[in-house]
Amino acid sequence: MLSLGAIGAVAVQSGLAQEDRKSDVPYVATPQVTVDEMLRLAEVGPGDFVVDLGSGDGRIVITAAKKFGARGFGVDIDWRLILLGEENARQAGVADRVKFLEQDLFQADLGQATVITTYLRPFYMLKLRSKLLALKPGTRIVSHDFDFGDWPPDRKTSVRKNVFLWVVPARVAGRWQARLPLPPIERLLEIELTQRYQEVSAHARLNGVPTQVWETKLVGDRLSFVVVDTTDRDDEATLYFDGRVAGDVIEGELARGVGAGRSVARWRAVRAAK
Amino acid sequence: MTPHINSSSQGGRSLALACTSAIAFFFAARALAATPGAFPDIPTPYLPSTRVAVDEMLRLAGTGPDDLVADLGSGDGRVVIAAARDYGARGLGIELDPKLVAESEANARQAGVAERVEFRQGDVLVADYRAATIVTLYLLPNLVDRLKPRLLAELKPGTRIVAHDYGFSDWKPDRSVVISKTYHLYLVPAAVAGRWRLHAALPDGEREFDFELEQRYQEIRGGARVAGGYLPAFEARLAGDRIAFVLVEDGTSYRFEGRVQGTLSMEGTVRSGPGRNPAEGSWRATRVLRGGDEG
Repeated sequence: MLSLGAIGAVAVQSGLAQEDRKSDVPYVATPQVTVDEMLRLAEVGPGDFVVDLGSGDGRIVITAAKKFGARGFGVDIDWRLILLGEENARQAGVADRVKFLEQDLFQADLGQATVITTYLRPFYMLKLRSKLLALKPGTRIVSHDFDFGDWPPDRKTSVRKNVFLWVVPARVAGRWQARLPLPPIERLLEIELTQRYQEVSAHARLNGVPTQVWETKLVGDRLSFVVVDTTDRDDEATLYFDGRVAGDVIEGELARGVGAGRSVARWRAVRAAK
Repeated sequence: MTPHINSSSQGGRSLALACTSAIAFFFAARALAATPGAFPDIPTPYLPSTRVAVDEMLRLAGTGPDDLVADLGSGDGRVVIAAARDYGARGLGIELDPKLVAESEANARQAGVAERVEFRQGDVLVADYRAATIVTLYLLPNLVDRLKPRLLAELKPGTRIVAHDYGFSDWKPDRSVVISKTYHLYLVPAAVAGRWRLHAALPDGEREFDFELEQRYQEIRGGARVAGGYLPAFEARLAGDRIAFVLVEDGTSYRFEGRVQGTLSMEGTVRSGPGRNPAEGSWRATRVLRGGDEG
């Protein structure tokens, strides 16, 4: 819990928090242009479940439902704002697809969320970070003005305000092994991944020979990287790996070469050690 | 044939600053050679690209059957031949060494692509490759920079330039890839700097704006003058001849996307409002004043 001093500091700093509010976090309405930009950047669609942490008058969840076809709920600690959100949802004709919960946003159950929207001061953003990183890989988080410190956004736009998008990265650190079906001989790829948020560095051995790994990218559960296959000196080729991480398995497509000489196979890696 | 070394002309520099014609760019390129740089002005040695490098250059350029790939300093022809053989493209190689030109022609016949490729003996600084949709370069930095004014002035907007190892010193690549070596992709940007009259048929009515753009290669910024204010262009992007920007007025964002046509007009669609089905209109801009004309 926060000390009373911290609560007071935020309230005084912002000048917006009302004295009788239980909230640590002042309510500042997000401009509609920024709401639109946040939902657009997160590519919200009918399949999405949007959770807005600190939902205020409900505009983000209501816009997500009315204009983007999503479902969702808003969380706010102020019961008067919950009532306002519910009323606004009724007026917008989306009351059947959105809910508002009177709750401390740090206690909210985010299990259902595919998109999380929030607008919190840096201290609270950092407080929320570890909880968000533990969510299902691929979950999108959008915010504006404030970021998550050293967790770099996956994308950023500036339409009046800075809007940030983060995609919860899969946990890929560890040693992985894959048998690559590349005729004429099967190759063994051993790859060791280290990870800092979505930034991944890799060391690999191809048939026991140390090989550099290039262009390593992780977006949510989608991992891609490139290895130059020099097994056959007369037929060097680039191997483009693209796969989805699910627990201790990565499965996907492997392309060898480019253009007319391109061949595609499936590949599957298993985590040997964390 | 003029070798691309040690050409110098002290008077060429001021000429280059004053003129904008293609011929002036040629002189500018020559004049820049006289400017002391970080790299010594030595001829580019012949160092064939590896198979993997050829693959990566053509992949990064997004080569396809409709492309004409010009390789400047084409060596034994491998980039041009791979473009024809592996992607169905047409190719043009420019090479200073006549022996390598003959070898390229033999290699093209052997690969069965002779009718789709052409090799010309010549200096890359004077050769004509304006018809290219893709230009590939594996040249030393100083020659790359000397080629730049002509590439920008003569190639069509949207033409893709892929540089292997050495890119342009002050032009930021649109994309870079590192796979053993570094490859840079540049899209030749349309010239959009200046003042425009922007007419937008917005869903909520017709509007006219005085629209201004500043440009440094593909990086653009600017905005629209409206009665009593200025609307900055947010997220302004230029990729070849495609332009996009966002204007925000009275709490509504207008997303403009379009194509630049020639030097005097651009047009496209404008969308406003949130969500999956935004209201759509069209826009057209005509140039009032070209960038640089004012001063």
